Amino acid sequence: MSRRAREHKAWRFNVGAGVILLMLFAASGCRGSQNVLNPGGSQASHISNLWWFYFWITVSIYCLVLIFLISAIIRTTRKPFVPAGSREVLPTNSDEERRKTIFIGAAIGLSLATLFVLFLADLFTGRSLHSLRAADALTIKVTGHQWWWEAVYEDQVASNQVTTANEIHLPVGKPVQIKLASHDVIHSFWVPNLHGKKDLIPGHPTTLWIQADKAGVYRGQCAEFCGHQHAHMRLLVVAEDEEYFQQWLSRERSNAHIPETENQIHGEKVFLQTTCVMCHAIQGTVANGKVGPNLTHVANRRMLAAGRIPNARGYLAGWILDPQHLKPGVQMPQHNLSSDQLQALLDYLESLN
Amino acid sequence: MTARAVIDVSELPSATMDHRSTIWWGNLMLLCIETMMFALLVGAYFYIRQNFYEWPPPKVHDPPAIYHAVPLLTVPTINLVLLLMSCIPMAWVDRACLKHNQMSVTLGLVVVILCGAAVIIFRFLEFHSLLFKWNENAYASAVWTILGMHLLHLFTGTLEFALLLSWLLLKDMDVKHARDIRVTATYWYWIAGVWLVLYAIVYLSPRFL
Amino acid sequence: MSALVLEQKELNEPLERVALERVWKRPPGFIGWITTTHHKDIAIRYIVTAFIFFALAGILAFFMRLQLSFPENNILGPDRYNQFFTVHGMTMMFLFAVPVMEALGLYFVPLMIGTRNVAFPRMNAFGYYTYLAGGILLYVGLFLNIGPDTGWFSYVPLSGPQFSPGKRVDFWAQMITLTEIAALVGAVEIIVTVFKMRAPGMSLNRLPIFVWAQLITAFMIIFAMPAIMLGSGMLAMDRLTHVSTHFFNPAEGGDALLYQHIFWFFGHPEVYIIFIPATGFVSTIIPVFARRKIFGYTALVLSLISIGFIGFGLWVHHMFATPVPELGQSFFTAASMMIAIPSGIQIFCWIATLWGGKPQMQLPLLFVLGFIALFVLGGLTGVILASVSLDLQVHDTFFVVAHFHYVLIGGAVFPLFAAIYYWFPKWTGRLLDKSLGLWHFWLFFIGFNLTFFPMHQLGLKGMPRRIYTYAYDSGWANLNLLATTGAAIMGISIVLFLINVWRSRHSGVNAGPNPWHSPTLEWATESPPPDYNFVYLPTVQSREPLWDEVSPPVVCGLSNRKRESLITTLMEAAPDHRYELPEDSIWPVILALVVGGGISWAIFDPWAVPISALLTFIVLCFWFWRGNEPASLTHHVQSSEDLQLLKSEANKI
Repeated sequence: MSRRAREHKAWRFNVGAGVILLMLFAASGCRGSQNVLNPGGSQASHISNLWWFYFWITVSIYCLVLIFLISAIIRTTRKPFVPAGSREVLPTNSDEERRKTIFIGAAIGLSLATLFVLFLADLFTGRSLHSLRAADALTIKVTGHQWWWEAVYEDQVASNQVTTANEIHLPVGKPVQIKLASHDVIHSFWVPNLHGKKDLIPGHPTTLWIQADKAGVYRGQCAEFCGHQHAHMRLLVVAEDEEYFQQWLSRERSNAHIPETENQIHGEKVFLQTTCVMCHAIQGTVANGKVGPNLTHVANRRMLAAGRIPNARGYLAGWILDPQHLKPGVQMPQHNLSSDQLQALLDYLESLN
Repeated sequence: MTARAVIDVSELPSATMDHRSTIWWGNLMLLCIETMMFALLVGAYFYIRQNFYEWPPPKVHDPPAIYHAVPLLTVPTINLVLLLMSCIPMAWVDRACLKHNQMSVTLGLVVVILCGAAVIIFRFLEFHSLLFKWNENAYASAVWTILGMHLLHLFTGTLEFALLLSWLLLKDMDVKHARDIRVTATYWYWIAGVWLVLYAIVYLSPRFL
Repeated sequence: MSALVLEQKELNEPLERVALERVWKRPPGFIGWITTTHHKDIAIRYIVTAFIFFALAGILAFFMRLQLSFPENNILGPDRYNQFFTVHGMTMMFLFAVPVMEALGLYFVPLMIGTRNVAFPRMNAFGYYTYLAGGILLYVGLFLNIGPDTGWFSYVPLSGPQFSPGKRVDFWAQMITLTEIAALVGAVEIIVTVFKMRAPGMSLNRLPIFVWAQLITAFMIIFAMPAIMLGSGMLAMDRLTHVSTHFFNPAEGGDALLYQHIFWFFGHPEVYIIFIPATGFVSTIIPVFARRKIFGYTALVLSLISIGFIGFGLWVHHMFATPVPELGQSFFTAASMMIAIPSGIQIFCWIATLWGGKPQMQLPLLFVLGFIALFVLGGLTGVILASVSLDLQVHDTFFVVAHFHYVLIGGAVFPLFAAIYYWFPKWTGRLLDKSLGLWHFWLFFIGFNLTFFPMHQLGLKGMPRRIYTYAYDSGWANLNLLATTGAAIMGISIVLFLINVWRSRHSGVNAGPNPWHSPTLEWATESPPPDYNFVYLPTVQSREPLWDEVSPPVVCGLSNRKRESLITTLMEAAPDHRYELPEDSIWPVILALVVGGGISWAIFDPWAVPISALLTFIVLCFWFWRGNEPASLTHHVQSSEDLQLLKSEANKI
């Protein structure tokens, strides 16, 4: 086989392999939490459907273009070859040029029509996304901080308000209004299984409506570069049936568990007499710091430090002693606690459920 | 020696004084860049407006506090008139260049430079007609930047004419320098024209819009 | 202006050549090197410097890929990583892509339009040195661990005075100022040169598409760059302690979104500024290797013009996740989709050219085919991103990283390599080695796809951008490792390319003046072209001058005792007047030192601004103060005494 024909064959092979790879990738990525194509709610469903519509159309267009490109190269190889560096210049046939012009005109028309269809599909999807609304919906005010999420469950009755951090619970099947604001720089609230993202911009408070239709734990992550620990600013959204949600909410509303054992009492003292109290709040004690996450029911959370570590004793110890090791640049300082103090503090924090 | 078909350009002039010269086009491109810069600055000025209830916003950071901090009109208007009027000696210089009248050009340039210097001095006074400093609020920052950037152009234009005048005083005027003076005149007309628009936006629009 | 008559004349070409060599000769040694105003010297310098920055940015990217290969990796901590991705982006966008595209224009536009130099040769030199100063400033910052670290677009409030104290972001702002000055200088050169210095007969509808692309890009630079200069200037003023303006401070009525609007008003045209010259390369290369003239010249030119315009109307698609009004968002969706039409027209015209031709599978064409395959893919993911709803999911994820690398590497770097393989013989007189070139192509193509295709998937699996690491339970590790492997392969291919360039410079196959038998004027002179480009400036009578049967007349009568070229009219390119080009000069580099030094020093001390302004004025006085020749000096070598003198000097050359 001539060198040129071999090059063409290699070319075709690579393109074909590429297309197959494309299909494989498409197929292998539809599972899991934090996945755009694994919708757990109506908003993400609309978007996921739109995705597949766009995907198949664009893949078809791509294949068409490649077919024409490769044909243009290959079909001429059947004609006698012009050696490289040849002076020969092919004349143009005006009939053929006119035919090509008409064909390209048709292709442009088809492209326009396709783009118009895609545009309309986007418009309709946008409309569906905005139609999710309800009066009296649960409203959660999410404020982005460097590098954690503050969540306040709003309520007409002030004492019913819940302040928590990094883990949001929602009832399944009901629209929820998320109000978004930022405490410092631009962040972005993104829970792919539930909806697209929305930026939290200082000076521009905004709103996102979501609804979870399947119970589960969905992961979210900050999606706008916000400084050193942007990579470790995750959040969890727990969607549960209404009655479990109400149980959770009423527990969150209650004051912190009063320490019972000697260690827990000692731990509370450690908390209130060291730097912890300067940044953190525990409802029912004098601790009312607003700099860091609210710790009233911290023991119930699945993860700590905005999804950096699981909520387990050993991790918590490491976090308290040296947060900079796990999240360099974070605002929480290191702590020099004796072993007794640390164990007591851990006992106390583990009792806050 | 071979005979070839040629176009002989040896009789063509070696410089022209109008839009056919490259430096005229270079200047035009500079004017496009600077106009775009001002247009964006004006866009920012109006964009900021949506963040205020009162426009212009109140001045609160230094005493006395002023509720409706509209810039005063007297000094700016005098300055605008001065700048627009300086285009008259400028046009005179322009025409004198075409006629290669070195004396007229020299005299005219002196007048233009004096006008330019006067406008610059008045511009410094004009900053005082703004009742606020640049770090008062976003509106103040935008207004000071508009005035400041235009001041830079006033400096550049006046200094350019000073340089060209020095040449004229030391040497003879030739086509190339007449061309340069005419191109700088175009720059000067732009400085005046763009200021007319910016003046209207900074000083008049808060009173009417 | 007397009517110019076409006549037959006896021309003494060897004498003319000798005289021109003497007039255009550079002073020897380092002085000659630093004071040159020859457009080709400056363009080659831009290209070499840009590729050095390309390699540096590639190394940064490779470290980023190493860091991301495994979850919770610790090759780069967050601070280093943030500096690396910021400097990678800034280098690729400001120090590599735009300069290299402009440089190819600065080299070839004067040649393709048949003139001797650009319109303002000293300003051209100043542009290069200013660009170099900007690049040095950035890397000094990086090596001192005070490099910018807030992303190449440096959003406020993160980059503002409150959350980025210190000097890092000021390095960002000032580097931008310096490189944008250089870009604007290059754009002014291209526009004025194309408008005023074309060969007689090269009316606008005979302009090579390469030149159209450079012209349109230059206009885009003129109207887009002021936005970034304004934005970085406003940020610098907000950050300066004693200035402390409030453009972006919401507490005083400023607006973080204002920054985004201003930035992206520049930022979107910026990517077309990079892409449009690449389409110019493609439109140049395809006809040569298909052995027929380009299909749809008018459609291609109109497409380029419409991309130039529409490109200014897309910027909000970078801001769909922000609280901008929804009706406005739909407008930008529509515009972002519309721009696919002129891009599509170009693709169809290129395929139509190949369809009727007899493609010769040389390396330039191979890279062009790679470009089409990859750019169309990137363009289609662009259509996906144009949809607001879809963008809300994949914005700021690795899906976008994949998209823009497909359109930037596929859409600009592949054509750039095609251009290098195509024009290397013109620069050096030798061809690049073909088998090493094939290795380069295939490794680069495969490595590129292995690196960036999986990133589409990663974005859909929830991986955001600009994260220095990720958790074990994210499920992103495998695809990241695959991407790193691809990056290594890309790196190897670039090394092979550099070896090819290095070796072929001196031992490559000899090419003549026109090894590919191309139609455009740069191939009508020697390889490499002499400093004066052409002994006699050409005239043209068609779009493909070297494919014409009959050679058109040439221009005679320009001086061979001073550096002179010809100015023609805007539309019809009729000869208008003669234009004197300056001698080599030290003032461009001195001005660049003042401007570069002043702007760099301003990071640390605001007094730098008035002081360097004063110095600038002084240097410009020297620059513009020049003598003029009495009109009576004859400007032709005519007498036999002159001839004797020149012959003896020629023997010394």
